[in-house]
Amino acid sequence: MFASGRKFMNWERLPIFLLLTLTSQGESSEVRFNRDIQPILARNCFACHGPDEQERKAKLRLDTADGLLTGGTSKEPVIQAGNPEESLLWERLVSDDPDEIMPPPDSHKELSTGEKTLIEEWIRQGARYEGHWSFVTPTLPTLPAGKEENPIDRFVASRLTKESLTFSPEADRRTLARRLHLDLTGLPPSKQQIANFLSDRTADAYENLVTRLLNSPHFGEQLALPWLDASRYADTNGYSIDGGRDAWLWRDWVIKAFNENMPYDQFLTEQLAGDLLEKPSNSQLIATAYNRHHSVTHEGGTIGEENLVNYVVDRVKTTGESIMGLTTGCGQCHDHKYDPLKQVEYYKLFAFFNTLDDRGHDGDSGVNPRPFIQTRTPLATELEVASVKKELERAERELASPDPTSQAKWEEGVLHELEHIGRGFQLIPLDHLTATLPNGDPNRIQVKNDESVEAAGGDFSAYNVCCKIPEGAGVVTGLRVMFEPANNGKIGFGGKSMPGGFVMSTITPCFNPFPAKNIDLNTATPYERVTASSFKPGFRPEFVHDTSRRTGWAPALSDVDKQQHLTITFQEPVDTANQPYLTTELVFNYGEGASPKKFRLALIKGADDTSMLPESLREAITLAPEDRTSGQIEFIRDYFNAHSSAKSPARHHVSNLKKRLEALTANHRIMVMNTSQKPRVTHVLERGFYADKRQAVKPGVPAFLPPLEVPADRDLNRLDLARWLVRSDHPLTSRVAVNRFWQMLFGRGIVKTSADFGTQGEWPSHPELLDWLALTFQSSGWNVKDLIRRIVTSRTYRQSSNTTTELLERDPLNELLARGPRFRLSAEMIRDHALATSGLLVRRIGGPSVKPYHPGDLWRQISHYGSTPATSQTYVQDHGENLYRRSIYTYWKRTLPPPGMAAFDAPNREACVTERGVTNTPLQAFILMNDPQYVEASRVLAQHLLSEEGSDQKRLQRAFEHVTSRLPDQEELEVLKIAIARERARYHSDISGAQNLLAVGESLPDPTLPAAEHAAWTNICGLLLNLSESVTRR
Amino acid sequence: MTDLPTMLNRRAFLGTAGNSFGAAALTAMMAKGDNSTSPHPAFQLAPKAKHVIYMFQSGGPSHIDLFDGSPFLIKNHGKHLPPEVKGEQRVTGMTAGMKNFPVAKPVAPIRQCGPAGAWISDLLPWTQKIADKICVVRSMNTEAINHDPAITFINTGTMQLGKASLGAWLSYGLGSETENFPAYMVMLSQGTGKNPGQPIYSRLWGSGFLPSEHQGVLLRAGADPVLYLDNPPGVKRSQRRGQLDDLARLNQAFAQQTGDPETLARIQAYEMSYRMQASVPELTDLSKEPDSTFDLYGPESRKPGTYAANCLMARRLVERGVRCVQLFHRGWDQHIALQSQLPRQCQDTDQPSAALILDLEKRGLLDETLVIWGGEFGRTVYQQGQLDSSGAGRDHHGRAFSIWMAGGGIKGGITHGETDDYCWSVAKDPVHIRDLNATILHQLGIDHNRLIFPYRGLDEKITGVEPAHPVKEILT
Repeated sequence: MFASGRKFMNWERLPIFLLLTLTSQGESSEVRFNRDIQPILARNCFACHGPDEQERKAKLRLDTADGLLTGGTSKEPVIQAGNPEESLLWERLVSDDPDEIMPPPDSHKELSTGEKTLIEEWIRQGARYEGHWSFVTPTLPTLPAGKEENPIDRFVASRLTKESLTFSPEADRRTLARRLHLDLTGLPPSKQQIANFLSDRTADAYENLVTRLLNSPHFGEQLALPWLDASRYADTNGYSIDGGRDAWLWRDWVIKAFNENMPYDQFLTEQLAGDLLEKPSNSQLIATAYNRHHSVTHEGGTIGEENLVNYVVDRVKTTGESIMGLTTGCGQCHDHKYDPLKQVEYYKLFAFFNTLDDRGHDGDSGVNPRPFIQTRTPLATELEVASVKKELERAERELASPDPTSQAKWEEGVLHELEHIGRGFQLIPLDHLTATLPNGDPNRIQVKNDESVEAAGGDFSAYNVCCKIPEGAGVVTGLRVMFEPANNGKIGFGGKSMPGGFVMSTITPCFNPFPAKNIDLNTATPYERVTASSFKPGFRPEFVHDTSRRTGWAPALSDVDKQQHLTITFQEPVDTANQPYLTTELVFNYGEGASPKKFRLALIKGADDTSMLPESLREAITLAPEDRTSGQIEFIRDYFNAHSSAKSPARHHVSNLKKRLEALTANHRIMVMNTSQKPRVTHVLERGFYADKRQAVKPGVPAFLPPLEVPADRDLNRLDLARWLVRSDHPLTSRVAVNRFWQMLFGRGIVKTSADFGTQGEWPSHPELLDWLALTFQSSGWNVKDLIRRIVTSRTYRQSSNTTTELLERDPLNELLARGPRFRLSAEMIRDHALATSGLLVRRIGGPSVKPYHPGDLWRQISHYGSTPATSQTYVQDHGENLYRRSIYTYWKRTLPPPGMAAFDAPNREACVTERGVTNTPLQAFILMNDPQYVEASRVLAQHLLSEEGSDQKRLQRAFEHVTSRLPDQEELEVLKIAIARERARYHSDISGAQNLLAVGESLPDPTLPAAEHAAWTNICGLLLNLSESVTRR
Repeated sequence: MTDLPTMLNRRAFLGTAGNSFGAAALTAMMAKGDNSTSPHPAFQLAPKAKHVIYMFQSGGPSHIDLFDGSPFLIKNHGKHLPPEVKGEQRVTGMTAGMKNFPVAKPVAPIRQCGPAGAWISDLLPWTQKIADKICVVRSMNTEAINHDPAITFINTGTMQLGKASLGAWLSYGLGSETENFPAYMVMLSQGTGKNPGQPIYSRLWGSGFLPSEHQGVLLRAGADPVLYLDNPPGVKRSQRRGQLDDLARLNQAFAQQTGDPETLARIQAYEMSYRMQASVPELTDLSKEPDSTFDLYGPESRKPGTYAANCLMARRLVERGVRCVQLFHRGWDQHIALQSQLPRQCQDTDQPSAALILDLEKRGLLDETLVIWGGEFGRTVYQQGQLDSSGAGRDHHGRAFSIWMAGGGIKGGITHGETDDYCWSVAKDPVHIRDLNATILHQLGIDHNRLIFPYRGLDEKITGVEPAHPVKEILT
């Protein structure tokens, strides 16, 4: 954002080898086709002289040895080895004639002088052709000579020596410990963990730390995250309506697989073809959801057959990019322009993924797209079930336990409410102007002459009603909606579960200076207290606060033949003088046609004359405590426990634990792959268009990769594909895998384009190292933990990431690895870091996604809420521990991903992503400084500091170490001392300002701490969490 | 010890800064007046416009009723759409099963306006009045026939998911003119025609494969117009200044010790956040706008979050140097109740849209601001539902539809392109949505074939892989 420079079209980006080749003087470097020439030809020539037969000009192809040797129409070789001047290729590249020069001017492609020099040199050196490196099965490279023990270091050192560079010194132990913790668990080390490591002076202290972290349950979470990006995991169906689905069992499966160090070949096989294994376990079926995470639509007008094609395209794309490192998209419409993938081969791959029982339109109403199964999470352990049960017992006891102080306060409030019920109450009738609904005949909802709104029948709808407020109404306190028994004596059209009744899911009032037909969510009037004339059990009036469609207020079934009303009291009284219109949205989207027949709106002044306090409570509570019977005492206490805000944290705790227990023990839905009784026939689709079917094809693999025999008695299937992918002669799978693990630890892969190992991808910075890693990974039994251990114990990894000007100039991207890796933490890690540092983090592993703090309801603003039975159209925030779970569990809605994550470069999960960008923007600063999640973390960290004795200096040191894992130097301490003095002065003169700051977040601050002091330290902790160092892994 | 600015400059030069606000911003900062970078090949065109305001009408406004109706339709009202006109064109699953396809005339009178006699509905009296300033393109077309693919196509150049939006491309290509606002800002509103309208999605203003700094930043009504803009309660602006100074001091020291240019970039980002905390409230504070402004945009412009207020805000954003402003207004999906929904939808948008043109013109901003009014497709000439009933409407139609453009080097008072008698197919001068995007880029001085981003083996462009051409005939 906001860069004012013209920075683009980076076709001048030259791989560092080229730069080095061109700049190293004296040394004669070999120009290699594969590394140096092919990328130039691919970028500039292959579009017309490459694999795509349709587009090929002059029958000349430059992507094969044959093509270069035999030439095109002219039948003349385009290259004379050793002699550029005699080579047609060279002639055309340097021609002055606009009709002759290549690439032609209208292609807008042009070779740089450096690129031309390289081609000239390559021809001079003999024009040796090589096949594209990544399509050739790797052979174990010879280990370069050297004194380094870890083979990784030998490869890196040998390259460094060639460049006259050396390793940087090892990073200090604190930095190493922090780096390891962040890389292997995604969480920072605690102060204690740092201390333990520092005091462990044994020779294998580092190795032991690695072992401990590889065995941490958070290891699986950390490894899962990039795989979720690659697999485009999300909790919603995507496309337009983007309703909810259940996908988390698969996430649990991934975490478990990494934690248990499942061999990576098995990891891939189960995901691609778990259903085709012999007697597949439920866990193996869950794994196949990998191929079901694509978006699914049920948009009415879309054509099912076309949608099904899109789904398969997505499966091929994701498998191609995440497992094979191949971009396949081109093949959908034509032969790949750069890689030797023919269109027909594309559809052979397509055929593998086109045999399941899925449907063109699916996924509505929160029900998963078919096929799906219901099963338990693979992560559940008896141990956790038992411990959650115990926790739950404790929490229930805690909820039931008396809290006399809070109860006394609450009773005062209740008595106050009772005294004030109806005080100054006045109904202000309104002039009803318009009533609208999104769908159906507009006459279904009409304003009647008697100032009421009447519906023609049961609807699934959001009604917007606009009323004029009478002049002189002045300040109003709330709104009442009154319902008439006008449907044959009943108030509503409810069907089976509430005959004659209705459910109001939510109600949203909005005052305006003009007669707006719609509400505006951003300027809606917030309300707190909600009462009603009656309610059906489970449908209390206050449930209208929750916008979910299946919760809300329903009048008591026994009262549906009488007038009913619901009343909301605004948080603040509203002066209607300058906004004499009220528009209200009343949402009836429960289903079953459960909407009302006839209603009217009125504003109220004074206090609501209705109370939800039951008669027996009123009686009991007005008695002096000593006059209450034991039954009454119990009743009051129970009511207090069930309804008071003081007990709401305890209630959330209980309900969260119940949900956790359910997550662990109940069956949940997960989409899976299967094979249809009547599998669809796959055709080549002309230009990729679903309806333009050409020849039928069977599953098969591209010819440029190792062959896969078709069994005599059946077609190939996904299991064959999976086994082929992990075969030892497959040139891509293991290279792609180790490259991504490397990328996780170094910020960039050995091949930078980690999803594209094709001819348009980048050449590996250390090709031999990549092959060595890939082959040893295979021979270790695809052992992920071993691979990671090997990497993180290398000298290469352990280097300091500090940089000098010289080094930064020489190797800005750190491709040569003469220093340690340094990069900004991912979106998830930044949030988790703040939660962990403050101690708020809840470390439960796995389970359904959670909904932490969210700014307003961004979802409702863009969704189809009120017009669709799809779920996840509004954001209903969780409470209690769900606010503090790791970010990998944050609910992911594709059309509006969590804003705090999107700002830090998280993808929206609509498509496979294997590399995230890293940006610095002001929006990130807003989040780290102002998002309640971070303000609360700062406040809680401050509370920890203040709960320990110590001088300012001691506390500043502690805080600094908490956040950065190191001690501040003198200069830093001085800055912080001035800062705390300033913050303190600020709040000692403004206690209410301090209290306002401390009120941010749902966890309760320690009331015994002096507010000014607590607030001042909160800002110091906030400052520290905003340090660049805090969000950098170095 | 370390000369960071030099390192950074070097780093940016090497093209490694592609992903980072910081490096680019710093380079720009240091390079003010530095002319060492020659003009990029993509910028060899002379720009006609500096800004874009895209008033996106989500849902598919009916070209039949608004811009393309004709007496012929009135004459043929109720008759079946001839099969030879309908041709093989696929229609959506919602009306594919209809037995016949009765022609439905425009719901309101439609008349010729302006020097070129552009057809404009009486539902749009204000637009009729500015007919001499706008160019109505009646030959727009797209392959998509449903919302998600169509709106994704027109905004990101392809129906596939994962690509970058037009605004993000402009931010990436042109950067920002101001240090106080993002280059690309987005506002949402909900029309009264159909509430809720079709859903919209962040991918429409997302950055896709481009660095995320180019994603559109939502500007909302009410408190916190930009997410998390406001300091937490109890933290004052002066206090924040002190905190940022401390933060900068600590970060500076860290950057020096470790040689980390990213940290310097971060300091700049924090400074910009501080500026935005002042510039955004100043932007959204309408108290200094005279009554004449609200008279021009209509009474709803006083209410934040309405389409009218967003139009006014668009002008204020352009005045403050924001490169691309996009409004998404929902509610144009009239499958049903066309008779009652369409007039409401028009009433929301007509006056404010025209007012924006008049306002920009009065301020001398229209010449440098390209304004586009349009949606993702049009609607069928045939009636969906029972002919002439109050619940009847029109289905989606991508084969031909209308938009209008103004300012920024677009000829006013003309129409471009024609459809057949039934407004079903383009009869003359087709403009594919790719051509529209190429035209927008062209007016900003960009050759759409040269604004590329290599990603996953492809040189990505907003116009995709098929040929696209700026519509030269409508340019001044």
